[in-house]
This record gives sequence, structure tokens and C-alpha cells, in this order.
Amino acid sequence: MSDKEEPKSLERRRFIRSGMQAALAVSLGGLAGFSLLKSSSKNLVWQLDPFKCVQCGRCATECVMTPSAVKCVHAYDLCGYCDLCGGYLKPDPNARSTAAENQLCPTAAIKRKYIEDPYFEYVIDEKLCIGCAKCVAGCTSFGNGSLHLQVRHDRCRNCNDCAIARLCPADAFQRVPANTPYMIKGGFTKSGGGKGKEKKG
Amino acid sequence: MEKYIKYILWSVGLLVLVLFFWWLMRDPTSQFTESNPGTDNRVADSALVNEVVNIGEKFKLFGTSQSTLKGTWTRFRGADFDNISKNSQPLKNTWSGNQPEILWSVELGEGHAGPAIYEGKVYLMDYNETKREDALRCFSLEDGTELWKRSYKVKLKRNHGMSRTVPAVTADYVLTIGPRCQVMCVKRESGDLMWGIDMVQQYRTEVPLWFTGQCPLIDNNKAILAPGGSAVMIAVDCATGKVLWETPNPGGIKMSHSSIMPWTLNGKKMYVYSAVGGVLGVSAEGPDEGRILWKSTAWNHAVVAPAPVCFPDGKVFLTAGYGAGSMMIKVTLSGGEYKVDVLKEYLPKDGMACEQQTPLVWKGVMFAIEPKDAGPLRNQLICVDPADVNKVIWTSGKEGRFGLGPYLIADNKMFLLSDDGTLTMIKPDSKKYIQMAQKKLFDGQDAWAPMAIADGRLLLRDSKTMYCINVSQ
Repeated sequence: MSDKEEPKSLERRRFIRSGMQAALAVSLGGLAGFSLLKSSSKNLVWQLDPFKCVQCGRCATECVMTPSAVKCVHAYDLCGYCDLCGGYLKPDPNARSTAAENQLCPTAAIKRKYIEDPYFEYVIDEKLCIGCAKCVAGCTSFGNGSLHLQVRHDRCRNCNDCAIARLCPADAFQRVPANTPYMIKGGFTKSGGGKGKEKKG
Repeated sequence: MEKYIKYILWSVGLLVLVLFFWWLMRDPTSQFTESNPGTDNRVADSALVNEVVNIGEKFKLFGTSQSTLKGTWTRFRGADFDNISKNSQPLKNTWSGNQPEILWSVELGEGHAGPAIYEGKVYLMDYNETKREDALRCFSLEDGTELWKRSYKVKLKRNHGMSRTVPAVTADYVLTIGPRCQVMCVKRESGDLMWGIDMVQQYRTEVPLWFTGQCPLIDNNKAILAPGGSAVMIAVDCATGKVLWETPNPGGIKMSHSSIMPWTLNGKKMYVYSAVGGVLGVSAEGPDEGRILWKSTAWNHAVVAPAPVCFPDGKVFLTAGYGAGSMMIKVTLSGGEYKVDVLKEYLPKDGMACEQQTPLVWKGVMFAIEPKDAGPLRNQLICVDPADVNKVIWTSGKEGRFGLGPYLIADNKMFLLSDDGTLTMIKPDSKKYIQMAQKKLFDGQDAWAPMAIADGRLLLRDSKTMYCINVSQ
């Protein structure tokens, strides 16, 4: 036995220490990696800023989901409840009626209901909505802009590489915190310009 | 074995054939729902239509005012119907510090009614939502003090504002049209009631969407009105309230938000009205006064707010919002008969168009703010030659967007008010856009009412407040 030779118990202790250090490093690295992964794909979600949206129609055609995960939503507190609704009726319509030839929506996803003279309520059937933004363009041009698009997170796959965001000409798509995933127009108004306020509407 | 295989193949073939025919016979549209008229359960609100309104029933005197101011802005688009003040005193060329100064302001009911001015007094149609009454209110131009009001009960529901017409004022009379088509004539100085006509009751007028936008006209002490319904146009003697003539309406033309414009073509004076259902010219003088001289249904849109712009060469420029676009027609007299030709018709993105305001003609060029559906030019002020309304000479650019707000010219300066209460002063020019000054006067909302100017005082308003601005030197 040499003088330099270490006792077996010491080797075992060093082996255990090294092993624990390696395990700690792996677990910390994993935790960091997991946190990074979580923060980039789970804590942030895609949403579009309705004030930047230019109603180009790409949300309907570029989303990886069919139909698109982008849907029209309605900020009722902004709506004028107009009889001549620019979001429901085609520009310069023949009549202010529910006839197909007067409706702007290609899938008849907006339902119109008389409340009392002169008010009408407009409700969106999300199952039919394809996110084409025709109604948004009409409402923005001729009304209060209460109809606007939002990414619906019950449909969105939250791709890190959002197909619409890459092509959005207005740069309206952005990542927002997952706990405030919507940018509803009424919420913007009430919060004095604050963004990402979710509001049921 | 081969026999069994043959049976199986035949069976499979038969099954495929049956399935194919089943697929062919299946209606692929069985899941579709038809969109038919009437599924919104629209009903007429007869309670409001049949309401009996006692026009001008109430009067309240608040005070008197002696003014040395002599300026006037007597009606919609001013005395000459061109939105250009001819009697303006010199106005400031630029603004600094707190200029232009707000001299006074008054709270109003929600609406877009513009004021008229006559020698130190301001006349404005307003609606009091609490009292549920239309009111012609008279203010002092000097300090905004309310002098008197003549009012009457009428039920309205808020619908993007309520009152939206400019009174017509002469030395003797003030003529108003309320949101639900009630016409009222009073003595200008005292506010004494002369007469009233409920056009809904008397002429079966259909109240336009968002209420009446037609501004009344007084011509030679005759009130000229376009009720639609049973008479497309009428004339009423301001002194007596007697109906002088009624123009029949066999085509069922309806009242629009547009206002009647006087026009003289080949020496013949007429009234031009851009209605819902068509545009027409009615004789304004002679033995055929009140008779339709010409009419065209080629111009037919659901909502028409701008007034027709009539040129001496027989051309009439028509424009409307909500996707309608514009049309240029030419009226010619041949063999004693008038003929209407459509020269141009186009969408807002293809040339000059307006949604609410009327284009302004100045020294051979025409200015207007484009509507929101005009593509890249949306809400920009543009200049065109009336000879080619599709060719834009200049625009105010991407930074110069003005919403739906009004504009007028005084002392060779053009004033534009944006929706949000920003006042811009430009030098009208046929070659380029020249901005002289700009200031956000107030946090405004929907500042769409026509402005008025007299004695260096510019009157403007947003949906709830009227302001008097000192723009004089």
C-alpha cells in the first residue's frame, strides 16, 4: 500500500459529493430550462392590438387553425346599437334587414336582434366566425369600432412562431401575459389606455 | 372458391354503388340556414310616431342684451351657401400661447346641431334630455349668456346625438327643424311663436336615421322645406304659416340628412335637394314655382348627409357616406325640357367623397375631408379640380387627418375642426397644403357640427359643449 493511496471511504465520499453536485447542477439546469420554457411559451400568449389592426383579412387565411383562432368579439359598451350597422350591413345596403344580400358577414356569424326603437343588438356566433374582419372594417369605418378581432385562446395553439404575427402588416400581434390574455376595446377605454385588461363582454 | 370471391366482389361493388348514389342524393346544404328579412323581429314604434307635439308651447326669458356686433352667419353654410364668410374682420395669421382664446362655452344636450349668428346673438337648436324637450336657445355672442329659449315637449331616445340642424335666421324670423321633423318659426328678436308644422303628422314624413339633419331654408320670407312623405318640397309663408305650395311626391322620395340648396341655371332659379331615393330640382320662381323641373333616381342611397354642390355650368356634385361614394351629374335645358346625365360615379377611394360635411368650392378648386372608407386618403383634406374630381391635386398627408369634422373659410383662412377638438388653420391654396396653425382646444368627442363665424368669433362645438373662440387679430 502506497502513502499516497487514499482510503476507500474517502473515495466513496468524493464520489457521492460529486454525484450530488452533478445532480444539483442537472436539477438547477433543468429548472432554469423549464422556467425559461414556461416563461416563453406558457406565461406569454399571442394577442392582437385592436387599435393597430388594419382589417387586412390575413387572420382568416394565415392561421394554422381552420377556421382561424382569431375571432370577432364585440365590446358592447362601445356599440351604438345602430339600425344602420356598418359591421352587419353591406356598405350602402338595399335595406336595413336581415336578408342575406344585405349582410356583410360571409358566414352570417353576426345575429341581429331588435331591442326597441331605434336600437338593435348584434351578437357573434363564434362557431361561424372565420376572423375575416369584414365586419371590423365596416364597424371601424362607419361606427364606433366596437367589433374587433381577438385571438381566442380556447382555439389558439400558441405556436411560438405565430403564422399570422409573421405576416401582420400592422404589427398588431404581440405577446401578452397569459393571465391577461385579451385586449378587449372596452377594457382599454375603461382602464384609461391600459392594455391587456380582460373584460367579459 | 372463385364463386365466393365473385359474390363478395359483386356485393362490395353493389355496396359502393349504393353509397355513391346515397352521397349523390345527399343535400350538401342541409345544414345551411337561410338569411331572410325579418328575423330580427323589427317592429315600428308607433307610440313615438303618433305623439302629438305642441310645437313652441313654452317660452322662457332669461335676460336681454345690447350688442354692437353686426356680423352674421345666417344659416347652414352661411349666407351664400358656400361656407365662406364674406363679412369677416381680419383674423390672426398664427396662434401662440393660449391663442386662440376660448371666450366662453355652454353645456348642451348631446348632438351635432350648429349655431347661426345674427348681430350679436347666437341661435341654436338643442335637446334637453332631462326635460325631454326641443329648445331653440338664444345666446349673447359677447359672453354666451342665455337670453331666451322657446321649447316644446317631444320624446327622443339618444341615437348618436339628438339635435343636428342649423337654424335659418333673417332680420325677422328664426326657423328650426327639430330631431323628429317638427318645424318652428319664431320672431328673431323676441322669440315669439309664429307657427309650427309637424311634418310627420302633416306630410307623413319618415324621420331619418339618427333624426333630422335637414337644415331649413328661408328664401324671400318663405320657409322652404323638404318633408318627403306626401310632398317632396313645400313653401310656407314665414309671416302667416300658410302653406304656399306643395310639390307632389309620386316617386316616394324620402327625407335625407341633406339640405336644400338654391341654384340658378340658365337664368332659372330652383331648389336642389339630394334626397333618399333621388336628386331633384324644383322651380323657385315664376308660374311653375314648386314644380319639379328635373329629377334623377340614378343617385339613390340609404343615407345622404352632404348638400349638393351646384356649379354654374349645370354640373351638380353629389356625395354621401357609408360606402355610397360620389356622382357628378349634368343638368341641361334642351327644347324647354331639362335633362340629367350622369357624368361620373365612383367609390370613395377613387376620388373626392364626403360622409357628413359638404365640399367647399374656393377659387375654382374644391376641398373636402375624405371619409374613413377612402383607403389611404381616409380623413385627409384633399383638393380637386371640379372638372376632374377623381384626380387629387393635393392632400393634407398622413399626419393631417381630421375625422368627420367641419370646415369653413374666412379672411382667406380655412378652419378645420377635428373630432377630438383640435382646430387647424390652413391657407387655402390650389397647389399645395399650407398649414398655418393648429391647437387642441378641448378634449372633444364627435365635434361634427357645422361651425359659424362672425365678428372674429368662431363658434364650434363637440357633442356636448359649444365654444366661442376668438380668432380675430
